[in-house]
Amino acid sequence: MSKVKISILVLSCLCIFFFSLFLTPSVMNPFTLNTLDRDILVSIRLPRLLVAALMGIALGASGAVLQGLLKNPLADPYILGISSGASLSAAMGLVSGIYLFGQFSIPFTAFAGAAVASLMVGAFGWKGGRLLPERLLLAGVGMSFLFYAALMLLISISTHEGMRRAVLWIFGDLSMADWSLIPWGVLFIVAGLGISLSRARALNALMLGDELAHSLGFSVHRERLLLFTSIALMTSASVSLGGTIGFIGLLMPHIVRFMLGSDNRILIPVSALCGGAFLCIADTVGKSVLSPVEIPSGIVTAIIGSPYFLYLLRKKDVLGQ
Amino acid sequence: MRKARVVLSLAVLILFSVVSSSIAETPGRIISLAPNLTEILFEMGLGSRIVGVTQFCDYPAEAKKKPKVGGMSNPSPEAVVTLKPDLVLMTTDGNPKEFGERFRKLGVKTYLFRAQRLSELPHEIRKLGMALDAKREADALAGRIENTLKKLRDRKIAKPQKVLFIVWPEPLIVAGPDTAIDDSIKLFGHTNIAAGTGISYPKYSLEEIIRQSPDAIFIGMGHAEIKEISQGLLRKLGNVPAVRNHRVFFLSDNLYRLGPRIIKGIQEMAECLK
Repeated sequence: MSKVKISILVLSCLCIFFFSLFLTPSVMNPFTLNTLDRDILVSIRLPRLLVAALMGIALGASGAVLQGLLKNPLADPYILGISSGASLSAAMGLVSGIYLFGQFSIPFTAFAGAAVASLMVGAFGWKGGRLLPERLLLAGVGMSFLFYAALMLLISISTHEGMRRAVLWIFGDLSMADWSLIPWGVLFIVAGLGISLSRARALNALMLGDELAHSLGFSVHRERLLLFTSIALMTSASVSLGGTIGFIGLLMPHIVRFMLGSDNRILIPVSALCGGAFLCIADTVGKSVLSPVEIPSGIVTAIIGSPYFLYLLRKKDVLGQ
Repeated sequence: MRKARVVLSLAVLILFSVVSSSIAETPGRIISLAPNLTEILFEMGLGSRIVGVTQFCDYPAEAKKKPKVGGMSNPSPEAVVTLKPDLVLMTTDGNPKEFGERFRKLGVKTYLFRAQRLSELPHEIRKLGMALDAKREADALAGRIENTLKKLRDRKIAKPQKVLFIVWPEPLIVAGPDTAIDDSIKLFGHTNIAAGTGISYPKYSLEEIIRQSPDAIFIGMGHAEIKEISQGLLRKLGNVPAVRNHRVFFLSDNLYRLGPRIIKGIQEMAECLK
């Protein structure tokens, strides 16, 4: 990959960051900030932008890893049931009325649910000491349905007036982004990203087939387990930061593959970067278009993302590689 | 002459049929498909005529003992028909229209309560009273509401305040225009900072609250742990006058239902804004 392309990419990401921070929903001059502006900038815009970037990075990277791991172009990190597990767990926490962790309660229960869901899907995908991709995929789809049905059951029998609104949170809401969660998000997402980047070469080999990977000196099952762990870490952290944001995990890796090819050593970091930038854009659009009314970012990503995805789908060289 | 007699007898016949259909017998078995309607019925002393309510009808305590027919948006037609009601009361504010059609096809009579705003409440209660053959009780209740509203409206306020009513803190949903809550805020001449959004219950921008700097913030008790859930939000709004001057109030659910209790809710709000 050429240095020019990388520089353009990094530069545009910085521009997007600057744009979202200072220009929307209302313009602020970074050189003449009054107290009110500084307050808004530090306690609202900056944490929100960081959460958007973190979630986008996590989803972009885990999407790229998962599509390679399952050798399936339509794999999305949420397909593993991690997000529906998180949603169910957060909703159960709300219904039970247990607020052990104060304002951390919802993110904490969501993370616990995501972690349990990952372990269960991993256990179902595990057979004879090996993690089998097809089993993993189907187990994820099955678990998703189960969790989702349980969530719907909970919603339909609950008379909690707050419950319905609280569930909105699950469908992607960045407006409550807060400094207190960011260190945890960074910890899990950087760990996951680190694992996946260090295993990128192994993933390249795995995509050529198990035997070839084995002959290239990779321990196939160990690599798969590590890669799955990295996806679980990143997706769980992202769901507990701001709920379920669709399309980035599915869309970003394809766009990047289209531009730069499918070498995972480049695909994973660039998908992460583009995912982060894309979610920042989507969130900026969502909070500016109807300001002061906000449109949840999950809706914006899908509205911008779906037409582009369909356009890519028409170009068969993207999926046919 | 003969022609005139025929016309006259026809007219009498038509008049008689119209009168007899309008003085249908008093509906003795009523199903209420909304919590505010249940409260209105109990307040009018018609509790004994209620044979079914929704799972959300939890006030007054007797309402909880009535048979349930499901939720507001998904009542079970079978449960409704089984209870053999003379009349099913529905509201434009929460019951899907299709259910009215569905019930009529099943041979169940329905009545649609159309009040969505504070000003429409007394008139709609009177209309409901006619339909339930309880004109006196409805008049009394509507009159009580009108009197209290008038007294509250005439009360002089020292200084108009900028007010925000938070329905749910995470994600931030507030009461916008065209809601009974907005009406209640405006009743005393205060301003609802979310009135210009054009959406009844918008998802509101945190940044905008800081810019608008409301003098008082109300948080509705939609959930038992609302105080805990609101902590994070209030910390972010630490520099807003309402939070800095300890003028954040948690209101009971009285304001949420367009029924007799809303008067109490408005009085609570007035006390806080003194």
